[in-house]
Amino acid sequence: MFQNRTEALALALPAAVFAAVVFLVPVALLLSEGFKTADGWTIQAYIDFFSMPLNQAVFLRTLKLGLTVTLAAAVIGYAAAYAIVTLPASSKGKMIGLVVLPLMISPVARTYAWIVILGRTGIINQALSAVGLTDGPVRILFTETAVFIGLLQLFLPLMIISLISALENLPRDAVPAARVLGANWFQVFWKVILPLSREGLIVGGTLVFTGSLTAYITPAILGGSKVLMLETLLYQQVTVANNFVSASIIALILIAMSFAANILLRRIASARSAK
Amino acid sequence: MSDATYLTLEKLTLAYGKTAAVENLDLSIHRGELLALLGPSGCGKTTTMRSIAGLMPVRSGKIVLDGRDITRVSANKREIGLVFQSYALFPHLTVFENVAFGLRLQGMSGAALTEKVEAGLKTVGLSDFAARKTPDLSGGQQQRVALARSLVMQPKVLMLDEPLSNLDARLRLEMRTELQRVQKESGVTMIFVTHDQVEALALADRIVVMRNGAIEQIGTPEEIYNQPASSFVADFVGFENITAVKDGMLVGPAGEVKASGPLPQAAGLAWRPRSIPLGSGPYKGTVRGVSYAGSSREYVLETPLGPVKAEVDAALPAYALGTELAFDLPPEAAAPLQKMD
Repeated sequence: MFQNRTEALALALPAAVFAAVVFLVPVALLLSEGFKTADGWTIQAYIDFFSMPLNQAVFLRTLKLGLTVTLAAAVIGYAAAYAIVTLPASSKGKMIGLVVLPLMISPVARTYAWIVILGRTGIINQALSAVGLTDGPVRILFTETAVFIGLLQLFLPLMIISLISALENLPRDAVPAARVLGANWFQVFWKVILPLSREGLIVGGTLVFTGSLTAYITPAILGGSKVLMLETLLYQQVTVANNFVSASIIALILIAMSFAANILLRRIASARSAK
Repeated sequence: MSDATYLTLEKLTLAYGKTAAVENLDLSIHRGELLALLGPSGCGKTTTMRSIAGLMPVRSGKIVLDGRDITRVSANKREIGLVFQSYALFPHLTVFENVAFGLRLQGMSGAALTEKVEAGLKTVGLSDFAARKTPDLSGGQQQRVALARSLVMQPKVLMLDEPLSNLDARLRLEMRTELQRVQKESGVTMIFVTHDQVEALALADRIVVMRNGAIEQIGTPEEIYNQPASSFVADFVGFENITAVKDGMLVGPAGEVKASGPLPQAAGLAWRPRSIPLGSGPYKGTVRGVSYAGSSREYVLETPLGPVKAEVDAALPAYALGTELAFDLPPEAAAPLQKMD
């Protein structure tokens, strides 16, 4: 395409410089905070960080929520995406529009909307007491459940969209062919749909998991200080405690978890029928 | 072939939403038979096939296979094979694994599995291709894999959707012979769907001509070819001249003429172009088209009935365009039709 590599490199240079200056260098500086002491380089700060029960709890909670949200998004996403893919072209476009619609609304607005639903006098509590199932309001807001619901709602569209584009490429009649050959729906999914849509699952899963780890607004609003996650803890460390070492450690943990999730998803997606 | 009915469709009605694709269809298929479902696209033949396989819900009616009502049995428990028009191979699996797919689901493994798969691949002449990925194969090879994948399951009925339509002319002939051989060797009851009358005539023991979700005629290839029951079937198998019969008159698309002699009891009459003599006869027409086809010449005459197509020996003298010509519509050479559109 280009006369020589120099031209291509020249064109890529501005973006590369931009990324280096505003992304790579600051991140490298931040991450180095966690390893740097007056005596030299060490991982002592990490050992200290993980020996604190609060940090352990926050780490495990973040991991747990990230995994459960991703898993729930994959289950709901596969069902929704498969249903949409099998629709006729005209209604398919409308359904994809509906899936994408929430992405056009600010996450802040979407998250605050959940307060109306989950709060002490919210719709769910009113319905529960009207039916007589509960005596007083049930605490949903500021629990892990609230954060789970908020994150799932926030990131599910990304999973559905990724899976739709993967399922669109499923060969015509591959699913009916597997059915006729004796596969039940579970086997159809495991042996045909999953291996043929793994790219979509990897992309969608990485987006949802990484999104859940790094979301700040949703856990801050729906979880408050009761349900701290790594992201909200990081914010506290910087703004309240002014502890940049902890912030640096949390940042590295988040990055490592994102990479680990991507690798894990690749593993899962490529694992086919046990031979 | 035994006469016992093996697969029966009773008053089968299939629908997409509110529009019925097939209505009140009755059909009996014998064990070991090679049956063709023939019709233009949209006639309901593929829908009927998918419903037999369990891929299309039955609105009303019954499907009985080998004495068992399978109307509500799910697709994976019907013991019916289906070779899709798109072949529907699994691109993430090798040829071997594609053929092994159904057998593995039955819990087969190890040497027994390898033996069966290899036998299946041998049947379709693909023994050397076991390790290949399926997207690397040609269309004809992909179809053989799809065929082997269905055959190794030893289905009670094997169905094929337009088995020859995606192949080029040479492969088509080869595959046709192949299908006949496989059917003969395995003795499997086979149903195939096609829109091509030549394929149906060449392959099938019996042909079911379908139209608008209903059966128009059932018969052997000879019966369908020589004694079409309706103007639709006649047109489909190459009777290009069709007239209705009314009170001693022949009624064509453009107009009617008095028949020169007594007519058989029928709603209509149909002639192939070869059955129309030119140069003598009670009717008159003008040559509007002529094309040379090697051993014969094909003429299109403009007549009071409408266009009439005739095919005569090329050795006979040619008529020029615009020639006024006598021709005959001999009743004894016509196929009598019971039903006209």
